[in-house]
Amino acid sequence: MKENKGMDRREFMKRTGATAAMLGLFPSVFNVARAQAKPTADQVIKGKDPRLIVHNTSTGVLETPLELLREHEITPKELLYVRNNQVLAGGKTLEPIPLKGWFIEIVGLVHRPAKIEATALKEFPQHEVTMVLQCSGNGRGFFAKYSKKTHGTQWKHGGMGQTVWKGPKLKDVLEKYKVEVYEPAAKFLTANGRDEPSSKKPDFEHSLPWTDPYVRENAILAIEMNGEPIPAVHGGPVRLIVPGYYGTMNVKWVGTLRFEAHETYNYNQIPRYRVPLYPVEPGKFSKSDYTFENSRPNWHQKIKAVIFAPLDGEKVSAGLVRVKGVAFNDGVVPIEQVQVSTDMGKTWTTAALKPGKSTFGWTFFEAPLVLKKGEVEIWVRAVDKLGRAQPLDGGIHWNPSGYEWNGADRIKVTVG
Amino acid sequence: MKKHLLALTAFFALGAGLAQLSELPPGPGRDLAFTKCQQCHDLGYVLDSAGIDRAEWKDLIESMVDAGLELTPKEFAILLDYFSTYMGPNPPPPPEKVKEKVALDVKGIDVYTKSCVACHGKDGQGVPGAFPPLANNPYVAKDRVYPALVVLFGLTGPIEVNGQSYNGIMPSFAHLSDAEIAAVVEFVRTNFNAELLPKDFKHLTAEEIKALRAKKLTPDQVHAYRKKIKVK
Repeated sequence: MKENKGMDRREFMKRTGATAAMLGLFPSVFNVARAQAKPTADQVIKGKDPRLIVHNTSTGVLETPLELLREHEITPKELLYVRNNQVLAGGKTLEPIPLKGWFIEIVGLVHRPAKIEATALKEFPQHEVTMVLQCSGNGRGFFAKYSKKTHGTQWKHGGMGQTVWKGPKLKDVLEKYKVEVYEPAAKFLTANGRDEPSSKKPDFEHSLPWTDPYVRENAILAIEMNGEPIPAVHGGPVRLIVPGYYGTMNVKWVGTLRFEAHETYNYNQIPRYRVPLYPVEPGKFSKSDYTFENSRPNWHQKIKAVIFAPLDGEKVSAGLVRVKGVAFNDGVVPIEQVQVSTDMGKTWTTAALKPGKSTFGWTFFEAPLVLKKGEVEIWVRAVDKLGRAQPLDGGIHWNPSGYEWNGADRIKVTVG
Repeated sequence: MKKHLLALTAFFALGAGLAQLSELPPGPGRDLAFTKCQQCHDLGYVLDSAGIDRAEWKDLIESMVDAGLELTPKEFAILLDYFSTYMGPNPPPPPEKVKEKVALDVKGIDVYTKSCVACHGKDGQGVPGAFPPLANNPYVAKDRVYPALVVLFGLTGPIEVNGQSYNGIMPSFAHLSDAEIAAVVEFVRTNFNAELLPKDFKHLTAEEIKALRAKKLTPDQVHAYRKKIKVK
């Protein structure tokens, strides 16, 4: 209360009236009283664009609005979405963390456990991959729109971005250190980050199938994102990158890699981040019903197309309208076709495709349409070279936690 | 009443599955929801889920228990009733007349037990590195306005208490009444910091809280205010 200038507080209030006294008592920053606002993205995570949508401030959950996402072929770090279950101490920033002093342990069903300082990762041949990073809850809000709401953050399409990751392949690191994974006993790779849970919470970790060649051959211990050291909030200094897998499996702040005969029993592996293998009725499949046999984790990404232009609710001029957007899948095969309909799916037009740098990235599509005045719904769906297509009604894949939305994208525009 | 109408409007709109609630609707159990949910995450996650049915709320609360939330069976039942009644798929029942609380009835220890104990501990000891102590905390003892501001508006940004660093998010507890906030701050200061209190110690009144509430500060501004407090 030094700002009081030696005056007794009670006396001061008597003299000036309570309101004025309150103003006078505060340092100058308080003199402009403004409505209590929700913190903006840059206040939640240092360096982020304040225009991002804030879903959660405590761990940092941010979504990229499509009008920002569509402006860049590679999503800049300032705009990339964030979904943290827990955060590394001091990790809520875009600043990088040094490789020096950061250790990774490789343990479990291996002949020779290894402990590697992250600086050694620079000595290996570097592999770079352009890929979609997407939260497995991305699009959860559309379950509410088209079928039945589920609990959790109501993401639209902005829980994704196109990113470039670089680092040595995990298999090269295993070979160099002669780790030798026990085959065929080791069936899963479990990754745990150096981030710590808030009090009493079990630590966050995930298991990936070591039997999947897309994990064995492609997994990278990434040390760069978009050509620079990985921002702390995006999992630097070392992030496990498995192209084609949902974001949650690309474990941040890698500290321990375990080779195991079974998936981890951690609650982030079961029942969280899983979908039942068969259709379930809302309210009839609870958390305790998930087993390793009747459900699967959010591993390979489902095929999906997202319209970037026009945007839902936008007004466009009658005549030629270019419908643009991106399509992607798990990268196993390229996108074969993107189809566009303006009559609720009775007839379809094929869009022109521009494949990205890798099958793991965005394939860009564009379809010129001639639209008449009025309200028009535009539907878009993608098919890949394996014939895997998006369902017209995404609600058929409804699941209790609302993961892996991939319904045909539908927007409404007013043509004037 | 106006707030309640807003909440009702939001609920009717939920039929379309699109509406978003902006705050927890009034109803029995609201205080407990404020306290329990904000230990780990802000209310956005809860509000985002508005409209799901009772079975799903049960699942959601159970998953939070898996994640470390501590609830007695009674608290579990209160939260489940509150969420499924006031944030379920159907519009909530008409508001009950809330009795105006007389300031004298409010006991600081009751407010503390209801709203603060989960993070700051029974004896105000906190959790090192996660939740700062309120006991033997010179900032709390020295300046009576500061703890009131933290309760009203929350606090973000790195702080240090007795040599230990903290960088969490203290949520706003502005849903508590003026009398409740005055009482709990008084309780924390006199009960946990008796030896540190200034010689010219003065009681905090509900009227003062009312005036502070009107300032509508941000958590950052509360952090800036804290920096100005001189502690030996």
